Formats: sequence, structure tokens, C-alpha cells
Amino acid sequence: MYSPLPAYAELHCASNFTFLRGASHPEELVKRAAGLGYSALAVTDECSLAGIVRAHVAAKDAGLPLIIGSEIRLKDGPKLVLLATDREGYGNLADLITRGRRRTNKGSYSLSRDDLAGGLPGCLVLLVPDGKHDTEHARLVAERFADRAWIAAELLQGPDDRARLAGLRGLGKACGLPLAAAGDVHMHVRSRRSLQDTLTAIRLRTPVHACGHALFPNAERHLRLRMRLAQIYPAELLAETVRVAERCRFSLEELRYEYPEELVPAGETPSSHLRKLTEKGLAWRFPSGVPGEIRKLIEHELALIAELKYEPFFLTVYDVVEFARAEKILCQGRGSAANSAVCYALGITEIDPARMNGLFERFVSKERREPPDIDVDFEHDRREEVIQYVYGKYGRDRAAIAATLITYRPKSALRDVGKALGLDLDQVDRLAKNLAWWDDRGSLSQRILEVGLDPASPIVQRTIKLAVALLGFPRHLSQHVGGFVISRGPLERLVPIENAAMKGRSVIEWDKDDLDALGLLKVDVLALGMLSAIRRALELIGAWRGKPFIVTDIPAEDPKVYEMIRHADTIGVFQIESRAQMSMLPRLKPKDFYDLVIEIAIVRPGPIQGDMVHPYLRRRDGIEPVEYPSKDVENVLKRTLGVPIFQEQVMQLAVVAAGFTPGKADQLRRSMASWRRNGDIERFREPLISGMLERHYTREFAERIYSQILGFGEYGFPESHSASFALIAYSSAWIKRHHPAAFLAALVNSQPMGFYTPSQLVQDARRHGVEVRPVDAITSEWDCTLEAGADASPAVRLGFLLIQGLSQAGAERLVAARRERLFDSVEDLARRAGLNQRDLKCLAASGALEALSGHRHDAYWQVAGIETGAHILRDAPVAETSAILPTPTEGESIVADYASTGLTLGRHPLALLRAHLSRMRFATADELRRLPGGTPARALGIVTGRQRPSTASGTVFVTLEDETGYVNVIVWPHLIEHQRRELLGARLMGVEGVLEREGEVMHLIARRLTDHSALLGRLVTPSRDFH
Amino acid sequence: MAVAAALALAPRLRIAPRDPATETEALLGVAGWAAQFTPGVALEFPDGVLLEASGSLKLFGGLESILERLRRGLAEMGWSSVLAGAPTPRAAFWLALVGKQKFIGESAELQPVLAALPLEVLRCNDETLAAFEAIGVRTLGELRALPREGIARRFGQGPLAELDRALGRLPDPRNFFVPPARFRAAIELPAEATQAETLLFAARRLIVQLAGFLAARSAGVQRFVLRLRHRDRAATEIAIGLVAPSRDAEHFTLLARERFAGLELAEPVREIALQAEDIVPLAGNNLGLLLEQGKPPGQWEHLVERLQARLGAKAVCGIAGRAEHRPERAGVIADMGEKQLQRDFGERPFWLLDRPRLLAEIEAVPHHDGPLELLVGPERIESGWWDGHDVARDYFVARTQNEALVWIYRERRGEGGWYLHGVFA
Repeated sequence: MYSPLPAYAELHCASNFTFLRGASHPEELVKRAAGLGYSALAVTDECSLAGIVRAHVAAKDAGLPLIIGSEIRLKDGPKLVLLATDREGYGNLADLITRGRRRTNKGSYSLSRDDLAGGLPGCLVLLVPDGKHDTEHARLVAERFADRAWIAAELLQGPDDRARLAGLRGLGKACGLPLAAAGDVHMHVRSRRSLQDTLTAIRLRTPVHACGHALFPNAERHLRLRMRLAQIYPAELLAETVRVAERCRFSLEELRYEYPEELVPAGETPSSHLRKLTEKGLAWRFPSGVPGEIRKLIEHELALIAELKYEPFFLTVYDVVEFARAEKILCQGRGSAANSAVCYALGITEIDPARMNGLFERFVSKERREPPDIDVDFEHDRREEVIQYVYGKYGRDRAAIAATLITYRPKSALRDVGKALGLDLDQVDRLAKNLAWWDDRGSLSQRILEVGLDPASPIVQRTIKLAVALLGFPRHLSQHVGGFVISRGPLERLVPIENAAMKGRSVIEWDKDDLDALGLLKVDVLALGMLSAIRRALELIGAWRGKPFIVTDIPAEDPKVYEMIRHADTIGVFQIESRAQMSMLPRLKPKDFYDLVIEIAIVRPGPIQGDMVHPYLRRRDGIEPVEYPSKDVENVLKRTLGVPIFQEQVMQLAVVAAGFTPGKADQLRRSMASWRRNGDIERFREPLISGMLERHYTREFAERIYSQILGFGEYGFPESHSASFALIAYSSAWIKRHHPAAFLAALVNSQPMGFYTPSQLVQDARRHGVEVRPVDAITSEWDCTLEAGADASPAVRLGFLLIQGLSQAGAERLVAARRERLFDSVEDLARRAGLNQRDLKCLAASGALEALSGHRHDAYWQVAGIETGAHILRDAPVAETSAILPTPTEGESIVADYASTGLTLGRHPLALLRAHLSRMRFATADELRRLPGGTPARALGIVTGRQRPSTASGTVFVTLEDETGYVNVIVWPHLIEHQRRELLGARLMGVEGVLEREGEVMHLIARRLTDHSALLGRLVTPSRDFH
Repeated sequence: MAVAAALALAPRLRIAPRDPATETEALLGVAGWAAQFTPGVALEFPDGVLLEASGSLKLFGGLESILERLRRGLAEMGWSSVLAGAPTPRAAFWLALVGKQKFIGESAELQPVLAALPLEVLRCNDETLAAFEAIGVRTLGELRALPREGIARRFGQGPLAELDRALGRLPDPRNFFVPPARFRAAIELPAEATQAETLLFAARRLIVQLAGFLAARSAGVQRFVLRLRHRDRAATEIAIGLVAPSRDAEHFTLLARERFAGLELAEPVREIALQAEDIVPLAGNNLGLLLEQGKPPGQWEHLVERLQARLGAKAVCGIAGRAEHRPERAGVIADMGEKQLQRDFGERPFWLLDRPRLLAEIEAVPHHDGPLELLVGPERIESGWWDGHDVARDYFVARTQNEALVWIYRERRGEGGWYLHGVFA
């Protein structure tokens, strides 16, 4: 007999945003529900709306009506499913969740019947019976939610579903509540059962075999076929689900954004106000008249902004930037919209659109309908002031920082699954640790063997399979570094707010992608250490010259700066100081600003994996002709010689070469960013390639573009960001070139930041002729300062901040006491600065007391004998026999310098060992520089860094330092396996190998490594490893 | 070195936490062994044993001879050692600490030797050591060269006092180590006995004595031997083992009674002796803690021990419920005393078949002595993927033609089919 499938809406469904319970992503649930022909799907994560935006986006895509709801387990019972019918109900639900979450620690919630006293208008309620207090619960629900409450009949193939259904019907009749079918869904398909069990085990911190009845008895909690449902449920219970769903009319689309009112003064519209500010800015930027091209650009942009009603974004960012400017906090915008002419006029960025040659043709796409992307970097140590300003202006109930979703990474997935499957914890931890280095799948079995596990054993196989499935699952919400969302009304009626791990902090349940997807107003307030360093350097230069010096006083396009950059003389310069950047500089030979923009973007995993570096260099050097497969492609790639280097170019290629709409290209960009999670970039392969073939591009070209898109996925660098970074790179390079002393002092004062330690920065500055003077209690301040040096150029006086363990408060008291009167003895210093023993000892150990006390040993003896604290005899003079202490040897001094300040102004430690090293036939870095490529060579140095870039297929780069400079060593994988111990253990490493040279770029290819750490004795040598 | 660094260097390294209790035990073992050379043995925790050896030199044939015995003995026990000697225990220990196999006979020689030793031998805290380094002082001699009151002000009296003790200028009294005793006692019976009851009465006296002995030492035994001496024949030995160390006389007596009950004596008994060798501390180690924190063993456990004493350890066991969805794994043979589970699942039959039996299926109806009538179900059970014995079944309560209730399931994978799994009582 023919019987049509019944209509059904699933009303009770947890996604994996019900952490460690739901075993499917919201997107998977939505897709599956649509595929099964459900009439609607309610995503009802437990006391959370964290997953609904993802569900919403997927549902829009799949054309499935989505219901927003949440499952709430009341402290005093019962368990309810709440579904929002309209904006009011949604706001009430978000508010309820916020209340429940804010009451308890991160990760839990607490709600009781009292919280529902108001009845939660606008929400429907499903009672989930617990089989114990059903009558009481049903009465309560019926009374409080009259005409909008149901009993959820969840028949899950339990011991006696027939009896259960009969019981529920009786209950419904007795309490006047209708029944609706529901599935208590935890997974989109039944095959997620093992993962769901594993999540339970992880949640309970118990091996899965010991979880017993905490596991579900079967896999029925999935989205079931409607045919199966028809067999299980009476028809009227299924029909009822559709009636419930039809009452839930609310969609997240309704969160039509209402922007904050205070952005626009009375009598102005957002549009007129933005226009007014832009005109004012143009007059300031172009005092002698706005060039025609800029005017055209401005008009085009303003029209687009008005059409999309994006004025509030620009006005908000402008407001924040104006505040920073008034407070003299350096800042700079970046992101595609930041590089618009409007942003230039508003002072959000410094990139003159004319200078960039009309680069940013599309800063906001009409089709994409996504809010403009403007991030603003602030000095890292003053960003908090900006954050406080935003809170102050909009109030904490309307401004909040977006969430960052912390998801399972390979390490954490493996560790948790391993534990859940009862693997030896020690082995799991070791495996997970090992994986951090070698995280590609190919070497996985090797790593498994190494920790003593059998890769072929079923339990290891299961562990890996489940760990892979767990990858990308959300674990918890954390605070984003600086993405603010600002609302017009109270925020908790827009999105629930939870407590963060840090006391007194809270976090909203949506991340930046979620906010983007809904078009909410957000502004990124980020921190950048280099901006602090630049501000400090400018202040030092200004003070030195006796007149203020500001960013805009830095002259543009100084050839001397580019000359320095071409020689890779860039230690400390923003972005182009890493080893990879430094070996690219002499090959790319930047000669103007745009070259710098390319330089910054090209040394990235994206272009490297997509094999774009070498073609670009060859074309630049004229070795390879610059060709374009078509005029369209030429327009996109002309500025990078036909090789796509920026993320925007890859997107534009998809449009011009494969015929994608900008909207579709944007979907591609989004799935690129998350392809590891969902793997759905594959679905773009076919349209991309066939699109290109249709437009008469060769298959080879099409395949190459596709693989470049893959490579770009996670690591593509947008041109707009690169341009903003290039500005900062140029500024810092200019300061390094012309004011090396101020540059050094500012960088050291801004630590920690960048790739280099103060020791390396000091050595570099000294090689550039900067005089550096030691920390000295008679003259030093907390920060490094400039003093008059020989021949009228400034010398750097190191500051107390370098002394490990010394308190800033103590050092500042010292400086204040010294201002009153110079110290006449260590005792005088201790007494007047009120220093405690710890501070005194730190000072003595650093050598800063030498002028007052004689050498370090004497200084320490003296301070150790000083009575500190509130002692009655504190000021009584002590008559002591003087002690005769040994004078420190040079070696001892160097060891003590490193131990106290991490650097020495004495000879380099290796200079002391040089005679010995020469006998061992080790050459200095300086000697190596003069050897031709292909020469066998032996080098030895202190290991200052080990890196294993993901792009280098297992190769490790080691940097060695000696008294003449650095040697870059390359260790190939086969050698690593043999010499792991030396590679990882040596602090002082000897390398035998062959020099490889390409122009100024030189590497030593290692053939054999030797460990000479014993020669260093007790010298402390920090190395930056694998980060 | 950090664990992570060590693992990076040697990935197959096995990591074990340091175990001070075992170290102490080892040190006590060495001390107990060394007691054969001199009654004056003292412990220098955590890694030194001091021997007051001057009085024993003659007895053992001089220094070299005694050293040779020490070296050989320690090596046989598997220890690597550094032996050093000096007129004061502290000086001897310091010499050993720095790895010097050196023997100083005269106090006068002490000072120059000690002067060269590094300050680390003082075993003061890291902060003080760092301070010594910061004033450039490395050796005991350099420290002594500084003004005494200056050192005392800066570093306290400790370092100087230690130095004085090492030089013999301050007394350095030591508590000598007392080796743990074994228990041996015997009772000669007033008359030759053949009755188990009589023997037990005598054994009981010895047991009480043992219990007292153990209590005085906060110790217990896990095994003791009763030796019954006869006139002519070799003694009968009865070894009594316990589940865990104990010093409970009542418990010991019960176990002895069980053993005597089954005993057939070849000859009358003249003397009864009790010997306990492996005396273990009962308050100090983990095992003791567990016993003392838990509930005192009740009658139930004693009954089991008595049954096991008679029937053999394997013959008596318990059954327990396990929280497990797969019915065949929801009950286990368990050690006695494991807790019963609360039931929170559906109807389960009292009798479960060892192995489910395939049922005939006729016209889609399962048969067991005729067609079965399905009463309740299906109850779906899908569980157990983690151990390779995943099941997927739909269970039903069914009625046979003769009104018996059975528990059957339909296999959900492979060939399918109906199986009988249990019978309701």
C-alpha cells in the first residue's frame, strides 16, 4: 500500500556546541535534515546559542527552516526545550541563557523555576519527561506556559516504548498537554555513535569501557529517516511537530542591525556626517586641492557605503582612531576597507591611495553583503586604554569582546581520544607531544612506533580514526584578542554572554565569523608591539633633537633605507627580520614601497606551497618572460608579474578566469579558511576548473590555480594587510638606518617582541657603531636611555628593566632618590631607595653597583650585609672586618652578565674560547662569509634558534651565533633522524658541512653535528625553538 | 632537564616519578646490611650511610680489608658506591659526596683537604648557593677565609657550624641505626600433644606475643611459619599467608585454627615455634595506610579467607553486576566483596545463556518449541565498539507456547537472524 512519508520537524537537537555531548557540527545536522526532507530543524544546544549562526548560514544555503532554541535543565527540574517564536522570544531566551551562565563558572550554568516565573513570552516549551516526577513537572509546565507547551515524546527503542508512549499519553491527558514527537538528537547520522560515546568518556574523564550506563544504549539519537519515524510514532505526534515548527517564525535575519545612536550628532544622518568628516579629512590630506582621481574614488566609495548602509562601521572606527590620536597612541588600520580612500581621508590609515596606484579597486563588494573589514592596530602597551574607552563610551551592557572558538587540534584530539580509549596516558602524552613537530599524516605511524605503540593495532587505529573525526570540534569559548561588538540595545538580548575563565571577564557566545555572517557592527582593536617601539623611538629622537618628531616626519621612499633592506640588514625591523625574510631580501631586492608589500606577502606558507616564489623571482630578474593567458588575467596579475601572490588576486582570478560571481568567490574564500575543518573546498574544484576550461584556459593553468587556492587556504596574505604592514616595516627600517641608537633603546624597552633577544639587538647595534653602556646605578633609568656619546652621536645607556628579578617599583624609587642627591655608598642607596634584599641582590649581581662598591663580588657582599626591613637596628652602624673577595675573572663576569641581564657588553663568550676553537679548526661566521659556495666548512656557535617551518618538509633551520655574527645552518631530515640528540640538545653546536651561496644569501648545509655545550660551563643561553 | 626535553632526546625513554619511600627503603637495607661491620651505623638521608668503623678495624683485619668487603658486598647488592673515610662523620660524608675515594686518618690532615671542597657539599638551599657564587666564593677554604661574623650575619650560623663539625670543633652526635628484628619464639609443650586443640592453645600464645612485637614496631607480617617439632621425625612446617600484612592476633588465630583442623600429625608434637621473617612496617607504607583507612575487615572477609584456606583460593569467588549495555558483559565473576550495581535498565532475565542460541525462523516468526509471541520490544542495544565486540541487536520479551517467558533478539547486522539469550525465572 502506498503511503506518503509524513512531514516532520525535529524539535530537540544538540550540535557539538553542546560541548562533549553533541557529536555533529551544526552544518552537518542542517544538511542532513534538509536531505531527509524535514520540514524544519530546531538546534537546541544546552543553555547556549553558540552554534546557531553556523546553523543559520547552512540552513539558508540548504533552504531549510531553522528554529532557534535551547535545552535547559532546571536545577530543581524539569528539563525543557525552549523554542523562540519571534524576536521578543529570542531576546528573552538569550537573556535567560545569559542569566544562567553568568551565575556560575565558565562552562556551566544554573537556572531554576524562579527564572521562568515571567513565563518567557515568545517562546514555546517542550517538557522532556524524566520518568520520575512527570506529573508534577507536566502540571508546572501546563500552568506556566498555557497553550504553548508540549510533552516531548522521545521514543528511542528503549526497553518498552509502547508502555512509555501509553504513559506519556496518560500524562498529557491528565495535565492537558499535547504530545509532540522528538528525537533528542545528538548526531546527524547513526555512524557517529562511537564518536558520541567517546565524547561522553572525555566529558566524564573515564575510559569509555568503564562508562557503563553513562553511554547511550544505542545510536537512535540521530536524525532518523521519516520512514522509520512513521513506523515508530502515531501520525498525529509527527503532525504536531510541524504545527510547533510553524509557530516558530523567528529567523536570525531579523536581528536587523540597529547601530549605536551616539555616532551621529543631532541633525545629521550617518551619510551626511560621514561625508562631512571625509571632506574635512581631504582638506587636511590635500591642502593644495584634491587630485581628480582621488575625488572620483571618494565619490564611488561614499555612494557604495551609503547604498549598503555601512556608514556606522567607518564612523565607529573613526571615533576610536580619533580617541587614540588625541591620547597620542600610535595606531594604524588594516584590512581591505581600511585601504580605501575614505579611510585615508579619515586618518584611519596612512596609505596614500594615489601612491598605491589605484590598487584597491574593490574594498567592499556589493554582492558579498558582508560588513567591511577594518582592523586597527594600536601600541600593545596602550591598547587597554582604547578598550576602556570603548567600554566607557557604549557601556558594558552594549559593548563586548567577541569570542574565539577553541577547537580540537591534532594534539588535543589525540590526547583526549587516547585517554578515552584507555591508552597509557604517558604514551598518549608523548605521542601528542611528538605530533606537534610532525603533524602530517604520513609520518604519523612512524611517531606512533617511536612511542612504543603498534600503528596496526585496532586500538591505535580506532584512536586515530576518532581523533580525526574530533578535529575541529568546539571545545570551549575564549575571548578574542580585540574584536568588539557594539549594539544599540542591551547586548544580552542579542546574544548570550558567558563568564570567561578569567575572573571578572565575560565573553559573548559568537565569534567574529558569526558576527560577520549576521552583519553586526564590530571593530577590531588589536595590539602591535612594533607600534609601541616606533612611538618610543620617535620620542627618543625628538628628545635628542630637542624638537618633536612624529611618524609623518619620516620621509617616504628613502633610497638609503632600501639599500639597507636589500642587504638583509634588518634585525629588529618589523616583519622582514625573520630568517626566511632575510634570505629573501637579497633575492627580491626591494627598491620601493610596493616591493616591500610583495616581500611581506611572499614569504608565507601560501605562496611558498603554491610554488609562486620562484616564478616571481625569475620574472623579476628577467630570466623568464612575463606572460598572461588573457587580458582579464593580466589586469589581475599585472602588478605581480603574472604570479598570484595576494589572497585578493586569487579571489579575482576565480571571478575573471572561472566566471565566479563575487559572492561565490567569497564563499570560496570562507571555505578556504576552514577547509581543514569541513573539507568542503573540494566542491569548488569542479566549477573552478570547468569554468576556466570554458573560458579557454588550459587545463594545466586551471589545475595550477586550483592548487594555489588550496595552498593559500590557511596562509594566504591579503594585499591590504601586507600594505599596512609594509608601512610599519618601512618606518622601523628608516629609524634603524638613521637613528640606530634610538632604535635599539626603543626595541629593548618594548620587549618582549619580535624575533631577537636584547642580546642580539645590542650586538647588532654595536656592529653598526652604536655605543652601548652598561646598567649603572649612578645613571640608568628603568628604560634604556640615550646619553651623549663620543663624536656627538647618542650612546645607549641600558636600563634597569634588563635586570632579571629587579622590581620596577624598587628601580623607580632608586631613580627618585638619586634625583634628590647622588648616592655615596651602597648602604646610602639601599636606605634612601628603601630597597629590599632581593632588589639589592639583583642590582649587585648585574654589576650596576660597581661605581659605588667595587666589583660584583664586593657589591654582593655589601648588600647581603645590609639590614633591610623595619628593623630597630636598621640604621645602627655595623663595625665589620672588611672581607677580601676574589676579583671576578672575565669568564665569570660574562656568565654573571648573561645570568642577570641576558647579555654582555664584554667580549662574546666565544671570543674567550676562540684559541681553543681555532685549534679545533672551527671558522668564525665572518670567515665563512668570505668563502665561495660549495666549500666544505666547519662552524661552531651558540644555538640561538631552531625552526622547523611547515613549508620545509621536515628540514630544521638552526641559527648559530659567534663573536662575529650568525651562521644559518640547514639540517636535512635524514640527518635529523641520526643526530636528534645533538640537534635538540646542543647549546653550543659544531657543524661540519658545505656552504651554499646565492648572492648574499649563505647557508651551511650540515653533514655532521657535534655538541660542545660543555665548553660553555654555566653560561645561560636562551634559544627560540620551534614556534 | 625537563621531561619534555629528555623525551625529545630519547623518545623511548620510560618516565617514572622519583620514589622517596623506595629510596629510604634501599638506604635502610644498606644500613641493615652494614650493621654486620659495626654497631655504629648512622643514616645520612637521602643517600649516605655512615659507619663508625674505627672500633671494627682490628676485627676485620684492617681498613683495606673492611673496604674490600664493603665494596664487594655493595656491588653484589647492585649498588654503586663511593667510599671515603675521615675522623669526623661529616668530613667523611663530604669526601664521598664529591666522589673522592679518600681516607684521612689524622685530624691534622683534615683542614687542607676540606678547604679544597666545593661549597655544594654543604647542601644548603639554592638561594644560599647562589649567594656564595655571587660573592665569588667557591670552596670551603675560601668561605673560612672570610670574617666569621660577616658570614654569620649574611648566611646564618649554619654553614660555619657545619664546617666546625666537619673539622671536629663542634660535636656531631649521631643516632645509630637499629636494624629491624625478626620474630622467633618457641614454646615447649608441657606434654607431647596430638590434639589440634592443644596445639592451637600453645600457638595462640606465640601469636599474641608476635602481635605485641609487631605493635611495638608499628609493623605487620604477611606470612609466618609455625614449626611443630617432633621427637624423631623432621619438624612439620605450617606456613600461613595473609591477603595483606596484618598484626591482628584474632585473625592469625583463626587462620591457624583452619590449618590445624585439616592437619594429620605423623607423630606427637613436643615443641611449637613461630617464626616471622618478613616484617614490614604497617603504619608507614602505602599498604598499611590503605588497610588502616578502610573499614576494618569484617566477618565476611574472614569467612572468605577461611573458605579459601580450606577449599583453595580459586574455589571461592563472587559475582557482580557491571554497568554495561551488552547483557553478556553486564555480569562478571569478581573478587569477593565487589559492590552490586543499581539497576537502571529494562527488564532482564535471571538466567542468561552462556552463548546466545540461534532460533529457527519460520515465516518471519522466531520459533522456540513452537512459534514465539513477541510481548515487549524492541529494545535496541548498540554498544561495545571499543573492544572489538560491538553488538547491534533488537531485544524482545517473548512467550513460548508453554507460557514460559524468554528473552530473544534479532541480530541487526550480517546475516541477521533470531537468537535466544535468556530465560525469565
